[in-house]
Amino acid sequence: MTAAIPSIALVGNPNAGKSSLFNALTGARQKIANYPGVTVERKAGHASFADGRPLSLIDLPGTYSLTPASLDEAVTRDVILGKQEGETRPDALIVVLDAANLDNHLCFALELLALGLPTVVALNMVDLAERDGLTLDAERLSRELGVPVVSTVAVRKRGLAELLAAVDGAIRSHQPREAAAAPANDAALHQRARSIARAAIVSETPVRRWTQRVDNIVLHPVLGMVILLALMFVMFQAVYAWAGPPADALESLVGTMQAWVVDNIPQNFLRDLVVEGLLAGVGAVVVFLPQILILFLFILLLEASGYMTRAAFLMDGLMGKVGLSGRGFIPLLSSFACAVPGIMATRAIPDEKDRLTTILIAPLMTCSARLPVYALIIAAFIPNRGVGGTGIGLQGLVLFGLYLAGIVGALVVAFALRRTVAKGAGAGFMMEMPRYQMPQLRDIALGLWQRAWIFLRRAGTIIAMTTVVLWLLLTFPQAPEGESQVEYSVAGRIASGLEVVVKPIGFNHDIALALIPAMAAREVAVSAMATANAIDADGDEDAMAETLGERLQGKWSLATALAFLAWFVFAPQCISTIAITKRETNGWKWPMFMVGYLFLLAYAAAGVTYWTAVAFGLG
Amino acid sequence: MTALLDKSPLGVMVRIARIDWTAMSDDEGRRLREFGLIEGCEVTPHHRGSIFSRDPLALTVGRMKVIIRARQAAAITVEPAA
Repeated sequence: MTAAIPSIALVGNPNAGKSSLFNALTGARQKIANYPGVTVERKAGHASFADGRPLSLIDLPGTYSLTPASLDEAVTRDVILGKQEGETRPDALIVVLDAANLDNHLCFALELLALGLPTVVALNMVDLAERDGLTLDAERLSRELGVPVVSTVAVRKRGLAELLAAVDGAIRSHQPREAAAAPANDAALHQRARSIARAAIVSETPVRRWTQRVDNIVLHPVLGMVILLALMFVMFQAVYAWAGPPADALESLVGTMQAWVVDNIPQNFLRDLVVEGLLAGVGAVVVFLPQILILFLFILLLEASGYMTRAAFLMDGLMGKVGLSGRGFIPLLSSFACAVPGIMATRAIPDEKDRLTTILIAPLMTCSARLPVYALIIAAFIPNRGVGGTGIGLQGLVLFGLYLAGIVGALVVAFALRRTVAKGAGAGFMMEMPRYQMPQLRDIALGLWQRAWIFLRRAGTIIAMTTVVLWLLLTFPQAPEGESQVEYSVAGRIASGLEVVVKPIGFNHDIALALIPAMAAREVAVSAMATANAIDADGDEDAMAETLGERLQGKWSLATALAFLAWFVFAPQCISTIAITKRETNGWKWPMFMVGYLFLLAYAAAGVTYWTAVAFGLG
Repeated sequence: MTALLDKSPLGVMVRIARIDWTAMSDDEGRRLREFGLIEGCEVTPHHRGSIFSRDPLALTVGRMKVIIRARQAAAITVEPAA
């Protein structure tokens, strides 16, 4: 027994309910970071024993055995064996088993038990097993395995105190023992697992009828596809429809704060910096928090319910045609929220070329940082009306079209890459399908909170900083009387240089000015325009009262607005994505390639859009 | 009477008679075994592909449902379950 806080690792197969158990044990006391040197997410948290002594818990990526097939599975093995750099070997293991899938999950459990660490087995999701007509004898299982077995229902917090008490006992009473011999080969291991499972199962009725009935509809070759498309469509409509009221509330809050500062602080340099720079810039981005949370809400719900793997199954056929696999669907769908976690999620793709291609096209998925840009332009230029008397809004439809453009672009690019720079054998696709489950409010709420926090931290750091720098560049040097401050400033002059390059594709000075700081993050394009606008309107009360959208309406043609939208479908304007790509691909070669091809595509797409729109008389 | 799993009718339980491990990579083979797909076990193919293609294949093995590609299923010889 060491004096230090004992560290306990949660380990088990994918879909054993490990993360729910981790959330139930630690509550909000979690810390998500990366393992040094690798980009696998390290989820750690704190809990305490019944008598108040603290313990630290670590949630390891789910895996099937100690022989890893992908990067995150390798982390699990290395942590358990004490080989992970910067990570001490856990003092005890909680092996999480899905009660309804004992035969299979016991194989890995036997392998883990053979290591000889203090171990407790959590027989998780016993309620779902009972729903499936399975009754288990935990005591019998404990006798067969020779370690304590505790029945748990993580989502209802059942068995948690007992589980921690058993862990405490296992650490206290642990005698260093010889590692028991694991069965010699896979077949023997399976046989042993199956015979233990047989012994522990008291009664059993046929399997998963309910899940099978749902799958017959959801995985139907045609109907399933219709359902998937409908779900995606509802998701993107909801992002638009539901976010209105909370976004308006946030916007008026920012307005109130600006008015308060103006009323209470005498006119000086600092006040302008706060009102025109910080509040105008950061405020313009923060109002999109509701939309981002709604999008994440859908993704988290799809994942927690078990539907995401079904979607991957349905999409595999299409993705297989361009040389990817259904595995890539999950990282790509996550990329709709943000390409950074999306690119990190590709580490679960075993095939290297498949993974590289998925990383390279991930930025084409319309991430939430584009939403502020899309939302601003759509609200300003696309009329808010229904299409042909249906309940479908035209604005939502345009947004859907932008998403679709990104997806089609990604498929075409993947097809090309797999035949050129990322050539390789057809990727495999092997995955377990979890059962359907009711998503748990707490898990979803925790996930949403983490996303909201990441977004707000970004708004408070990267975005706030670039906005302030931009404000300074826009404010100096001071323009003489009668000259436009924005045009006269340092930023304005740089933008005039860039304008020469982007003029052929219909971009004006406003856009050229917004594009440079937007390299840091796409949504900065909006805050940059907001800041420039605030400076431009300085002193003019009528102009101050107009929203940014209304100002742009007066200054841009529809063709320019559409070209601007098309640009952002492709443009790789996000420092974080470039950095994560460098880390994930171990060098500058692929991030540079990515930036290059995406800018070329962006320029071409904006150009074609502009020229077409002008030809139709929208210039 | 044997057949290959990739041609096996949906919804009918079959027993795995033989797996040609040489037709796939070591990693793929190991993952198959980790899914519990080994000689002698009983599986039921349930869903095959979507409108895009006849790939992949979803099947139940024990209480688990797994997805594999048709290419791997083609290396698995099955016989009627008893």
